[in-house]
Formats: sequence, C-alpha cells, structure tokens
Amino acid sequence: MIPIPTYLEPVLKWLVDMLAFFAIYLVVVVALNLQYGYTGVPNFGLALSVAGGAYATGALTGRIAMALYGVGQGLDFMHDNSQITALLNERLRNDPVGGILILLVVIVIAMVVAGGLGFVASYPAIRLRAEYLMMVLIAMAEAILIIGVNYYPLVGGTFWVHVPDLFAWMGGLRWTGVTLVILASSILVFLAGQAIVTSPFGRLLRAVRENETTAECIGKDVVGTKIRIMVVGSMIAALAGVFYALHTQVVLAAAYTRTDWTFWPWLMLMVGGRGNNIGSLVGAGAVISARRLIIYFKHDIQPFVPIQVVWLEQIMLGLTLILVMAFRPQGILPEKPTRMRGLNYRQMLERLAGKSAEKTER
Amino acid sequence: MLPVVKDALMYANLILMLTIGFTLAYMTAKIPNFAHGTLAGLGVYSTFTVSVLWKLSPYVAVPLAFVIGAGMGVFIYKVVIGTLRKYGATPVSLSISTLAVEIMVIAMLNIYADDIQSRGIYARAFLLRYKDFEFLGLPGVLLVSTCLVVAIITVLHLMLTRTRFGISMRATVEDPDLASVLGTNVELVSTVSWFLTGGLAGLSGSFLPLWFQGGPTIGSLMMTSVFAAAALGGLSSIYGAMLGGYLIGLSEILGTVVLMDMIGSWVAAYRMMIPLSVLSLVLLRYPGGLVGIVESMRARGLSIRRKAKIGNTRLRP
Repeated sequence: MIPIPTYLEPVLKWLVDMLAFFAIYLVVVVALNLQYGYTGVPNFGLALSVAGGAYATGALTGRIAMALYGVGQGLDFMHDNSQITALLNERLRNDPVGGILILLVVIVIAMVVAGGLGFVASYPAIRLRAEYLMMVLIAMAEAILIIGVNYYPLVGGTFWVHVPDLFAWMGGLRWTGVTLVILASSILVFLAGQAIVTSPFGRLLRAVRENETTAECIGKDVVGTKIRIMVVGSMIAALAGVFYALHTQVVLAAAYTRTDWTFWPWLMLMVGGRGNNIGSLVGAGAVISARRLIIYFKHDIQPFVPIQVVWLEQIMLGLTLILVMAFRPQGILPEKPTRMRGLNYRQMLERLAGKSAEKTER
Repeated sequence: MLPVVKDALMYANLILMLTIGFTLAYMTAKIPNFAHGTLAGLGVYSTFTVSVLWKLSPYVAVPLAFVIGAGMGVFIYKVVIGTLRKYGATPVSLSISTLAVEIMVIAMLNIYADDIQSRGIYARAFLLRYKDFEFLGLPGVLLVSTCLVVAIITVLHLMLTRTRFGISMRATVEDPDLASVLGTNVELVSTVSWFLTGGLAGLSGSFLPLWFQGGPTIGSLMMTSVFAAAALGGLSSIYGAMLGGYLIGLSEILGTVVLMDMIGSWVAAYRMMIPLSVLSLVLLRYPGGLVGIVESMRARGLSIRRKAKIGNTRLRP
C-alpha cells in the first residue's frame, strides 16, 4: 500500500465520503430524471422507493445471513441485533463469496419490493392530473416512514438495525472499497439510464411528456408507459437505499425523510438540468459538494452564525432551488436532442455496400 | 362528552380550516400548496409565544396567527409563485417551489424554537391544554374553534354568493381569462384568496397546541389528512372542502378508536393510514370527489325536474 502523508488523510477521507454520497444520490437523480425529466411524471414520493430499498436491506440482510451461516440460534434478531451483527461480521470476514451472494439477493429483493411500492403508490392517481399524483405520492412516502418508525420488527422502529458488513473481507480497506463498489454500481446505473433514454422506449417517454394526446393518437399506451417508468424508476431508486444502508452499515427508519430523499434529489435535478442525464450528474455533484462542504466545515462556520448550521443549510438550499427555477429553469446543462440508438437499416446497407456513412438520424 | 368525541370534533375543526385554505389556494393558483401545513406551524408558535412567553391568554394569539399566516400566504403567492410565473415556470416547478418554501419555513420555526430553548424553555413538543379555560365542562378551545368554524362557513358563503367580490372570485376560478376580460382584477382576487388561505391555516394552527401536541413539523404531518379531505371535497368547491374536511377529521379519529377496539391499541400509531386509504379510494373510484358525484348525478338527469323548477340561472358554487 502506498503510504499517505498525514496531512492528506482528512482530505482523502472527506473525498471518499463525498464520493459515496455523490454515487448514492446520483442513482436517485437518474431515477428521478427518468420519471420527471424524460416522462414528466412528477414523483414527489422518491423517499418511498429509497426507504423501500433501505428497509428491505435492513430487515433482510441480517436475517438471510443468519439463516445462511446458522449463527445466533435462540437470539432475537431485533433485541440482540448488535450481538448477531458482530457474530455475522466474524463469519463474513472470511467469506467474500457469501457476502457478495447475500448482497445480490438483497438487491434483487429490494428492487422488487420498491418496484411493487412504486406501482401501488402511483396506481390510484396515475390516470389523473399531475397534482393528484403529487399529493398521493407525498402521502405514500410519509406512510412508509410511519410504518418504518412504528413497526419494530421491520427495522427496529425508533431504534435502528445494523446491516452486517458484507464487505468485511476487505479488511482495513473496507471504507474505500465499499465506496468504490458503490461508485462503480452507480456509474453502471447511470449508463443503464442513458441506455434507456437513447432506446426507442426513451423516445416513447419523451413523446408522453411532450404531448399525451398525440402519443395516445399514434397508438401508444400513455398510462401504461407512466406506470412502467414509475416502477422502473422506483427500482433504480431502491438501489440508492441499499447503497446508503451499505455505506452507513445501519438502517435508521426515521432517516428516510421527505427533505433528504425527495427534496434534495429534486434540487439536484433542477440545478443540473432535467431531461439530461449528464445534467443530473453535474447537479448531483454540485449539490453534494455544497452540502458536504457545509457539513465538513460546520464547526468552523458555527461561531460566525447565530443559528444552527443545519437550518442555515436548509434555508440556503431551498432558496437556491427557487432562484434556479426563476433564473435558469433549464438547469446548468439544458436538454439537448438525444441521439437515438437502434438499427438504422439504410445506413447499415450503405456501409455494407462500402459507401461512406451518411449522417446518422437524430 | 366522551374525550374521543372531543378529540374528533377538535381535529375535524382544524382539518376543515386547513382544507378550505388548501382548496382555495388550489382553485386560484391551480397548484397544490405543499407549504400549507407549515403555515399552521406559524400559528402553533404564535400561540406558544403569546401564552408561554408573554403569559397572556392563548386566545390573544388567534388574530395574531391569522395575520402572520395570511402574510406568509400572500408572500408565497406574490413573491415566490409570482416571480416564478413571471419567468414562465411550469405547474410542477411551482409545486416543488412550495415544497422548498415548506422546508425553509420549517427551518425558520426550528431556529425560533432553538432561540426559545436557549432561554431554558422546552419548545419542540408542547401541549398547552392547561392554559385553556373550561365552560360547562367543555374545553374552551373546542367551543371557540367550533364557533369560529361556523362563522367562517357563514362568512365565506355570504361572501361568495352575496358580494361582488365573491362573484368575481368565482368567475376567476371558473375562467381567469374571461374574468379579466370582463373587468375583474384577477391578480387582486387571487392575492386575497391566498391571504384567506394563509390566515385560515394560521387560525387552525393557533388552536392546535391547546388540544394536541405542537411542534415545528406538526403542520406538515397533518397534510395527508388535508390532501384526503381536499380530494374528497373535489378540489373545486369551497363547500366540498368543508364537507370533506369535517368527514376526514371525524373519521380519522373515530375510525382509529374503533379499530383500536377491534384490533389492538398498536393501531393508533398508524392513524394516517385512514386518510391515505380514503385518498386512494376516492381517486380510484370518484376522482371528482363529492362534488364530482353530485355533478355526475345531475348529469345523469336524476334531478331534471328539480333543475327545471329552480331554473338554470343558479350559478354552480
């Protein structure tokens, strides 16, 4: 291992922490961009999907690992949670394959759960005006928070539940390693989002956003498309919940609030530019660096302001959203016409015939 | 009177006031005001300030809360929504901006609570029932708020049907462009609507800590009930909002008590599932709400004879 100079250590630590948050929020913003940026479905209940993923992780990782390794017989999963987690971490330290297997199973379950939640939550109002959908989704996100906080066996209610360290085999490099894994996965998610919007399905999404009636007239199933993108987006956002649980190694039910997991992603999307995946990347980067900088220098700022920095941050970022929407509603990177993938038969034939390729269709 | 019935009536009064405001704001600006609940939070803290810090009767806070809430309502409409509209914001952007306002107002309430707490008074969760008076064995807040609700309904009804301003308000809601062509000052009408909106939310909040526990986020916790009530009312009529608000307020508390008897006391924590399921069911089956049901019955001609009797001159409220 390369020796790191001591003065660089806090900077590196901060960087790793910020990268993890950036990666987690990038996933949420990509999901939101698919839903709102490309399809025009205003998902004000993003927290629902994220919480769904996180609660599934918290409730299942430990239980699956317990069943797999057969440890903690006679112990109650919730009451003796720390003890069980310590036992499991011991076993996971020498078992990379088991850890990765459990992670994959948990990810699949979390995505299925969140997809189902997204379907159920949007079903009552997806046919109606956007305002009704916003209200129902906000209320649904609030509901899952209430279930999480009050239903003790799920993720420990007002307490929390530990997530066994599935990357314990990385040893001392665990923090950096997990961050890199999360970052790599979120880049994959980003590429998947890009693949969706450049596919014919992406074209359908934009058609639905631009004019529902026209889309309906040319034989597209508008409501079906909206439901599908709600489910797909929720499944993607659930990944963020899983990653956040892995990053913090703990699932605290009350952490999945409207402010943290609905409002911040919306702010990132609006800052970066909706309908543009690169924009969501930029937006997530900008807002996360701002937030992390504020949190990191919290104690240095505190003496100079008469109020708690948390509230200052909330007011500042709320104001940012309003100002961005007033003066640059298209965001930092406005939406550009997307180059579509898909087979261009004429071009293919021309290429086969040895002619020089014409300009591809837009 | 059973304490449960008192709870239910009290909650219904609060929700009714909030729902009238929410619906009125929606009707004039065509966006759901997600910051509506936190305006009640302003009322909650004005009662706290008046009764705990200034040691006055909590009812002194009622007009104060009205003014503060109304000021905030006008601020949201004129400054936030007005500015964004000028730059051509879409309805979704306007809605998310009200969410931003909500977060900022909650932050400000928290700052205020911090400030009070620094003086050694706990200001994050408080119940001020002990400040209230009792009359004929009934809590004063129940009597006062019920009287006020009746007064609000009467005044609004008279205003909408008897005054020139009320008629221009209805015209603005029906068709803003046409109303402005006919000489209605649409902007003024909308501003006054938001003044009333914020004021009613403030009133609702000022009564809240006298019966329920208050805190910085209490207003936004009540929003699910308000959404459900507004959807039940149809989001297009003040009268629908009144009925929806009262029904949701009563059914939320009474329904919880019934379920607690039937299933177990743990149900109490999931109280908000009742308005949530009402909201979902209403939107699934009757997206127009109660007003929609009445209208569709009319459209089906169930009351053609009665319609003929009263003539078609009567305006739809």
